Amino acid sequence: MMIALMIVSIGAIMYRAGTYYRYEQWEEYITLTEHVKLNTIRLVEISLANYTAPGNNSTSILKDNLNQWQNDLRKAYPGYGIILTYNLTDGTNINYSQGLASHWNENASYSAANANFALNITSVGLEGYRFMATAFLNLTILNVDALSDVITVAVTGEDGMPITDLKKGNFQVDGLDIKNVTSSYHETYILVYTINCDGSIPAPVTVTVWDQRGIIVIAKS
Amino acid sequence: MERIGMRTTRNTKGQMRVIETILASFIILAALTFVNTFAVLPSSPKYETSDLEKMGHNILHDLDEQGLLSRFVYDKEWGELTLVLTIFLPPDVYFDLTIYDAHAQNIVINNGFPIRYGSQEVFTASNPTASVSYVMPGHHAEYDPRILVLQLVRG
Repeated sequence: MMIALMIVSIGAIMYRAGTYYRYEQWEEYITLTEHVKLNTIRLVEISLANYTAPGNNSTSILKDNLNQWQNDLRKAYPGYGIILTYNLTDGTNINYSQGLASHWNENASYSAANANFALNITSVGLEGYRFMATAFLNLTILNVDALSDVITVAVTGEDGMPITDLKKGNFQVDGLDIKNVTSSYHETYILVYTINCDGSIPAPVTVTVWDQRGIIVIAKS
Repeated sequence: MERIGMRTTRNTKGQMRVIETILASFIILAALTFVNTFAVLPSSPKYETSDLEKMGHNILHDLDEQGLLSRFVYDKEWGELTLVLTIFLPPDVYFDLTIYDAHAQNIVINNGFPIRYGSQEVFTASNPTASVSYVMPGHHAEYDPRILVLQLVRG
């Protein structure tokens, strides 16, 4: 009798342990959390691209987009109870305004966006999953060679690493056509771009770059 | 007299053991029956649906992470999207993907261009159909959200 009771008790505990994760469907919720995070970061990039686009300079664009995104997430996942709250960065050494910043027409110029998020999924008891979304693009004019009509620039992203997939169409030099753009190794920036211009380079020269996300930066030598 | 008394005690003890064994068997059988009603076996529809949902979530997430989903959806490359989903999903899984405008949910973006593997009847006739929702914020500099609804059925 004692053995029977022990078998039943241990069996019940083992059954509970074996089926706990299956019923909770953790994998699905982890994927959902990752999906919300991925697309929220993408939305921050989209907002920065919009903010830096010619003719647009409204600093409320990130806030407006995030407010709509909160509603659209609830609409897309009605049964999950998704609540995404955000806090836009202001100030700091980058001088953000409502999470957005642009420091242009300098030798080293940049565009940046930064916001902190907290995600709740009430249907599974997930509360306060925090993450940060940062978008950053930096353009530095390293050298202007007026004799050979060549401009050397470095383009870096969020982590200071070089942006490697830029082509001729990603650059613009004011008042000049670009013959071609090549990339090469640099001991400090790892990768730099050499812009070969068609004509004499004026002083100062203005260079514009936009990456594959559509974020624009304008630098002046 | 003493021998008869001992025999009676042994017989009573023996009967108790038999009753105890029967009771123990009943307890074990009852527990097994109880557990069996709750067990989710791999062949059950409940398992199949959650398994398919996980699969659907993972595929859409992987495609999005690689930047492919955004290109297919916003550049309206429906043929390529159908092909990629067919390659990523197992051959015995049928799918039907519908893309909605998030701000006007009754507007189907891929209207007239079904992103589907398997006939329409497979989805209407099948009982355990897994459904996965996925939302995308936009493309380039525009906030233009899309809701993707992926239905999956194991053939």
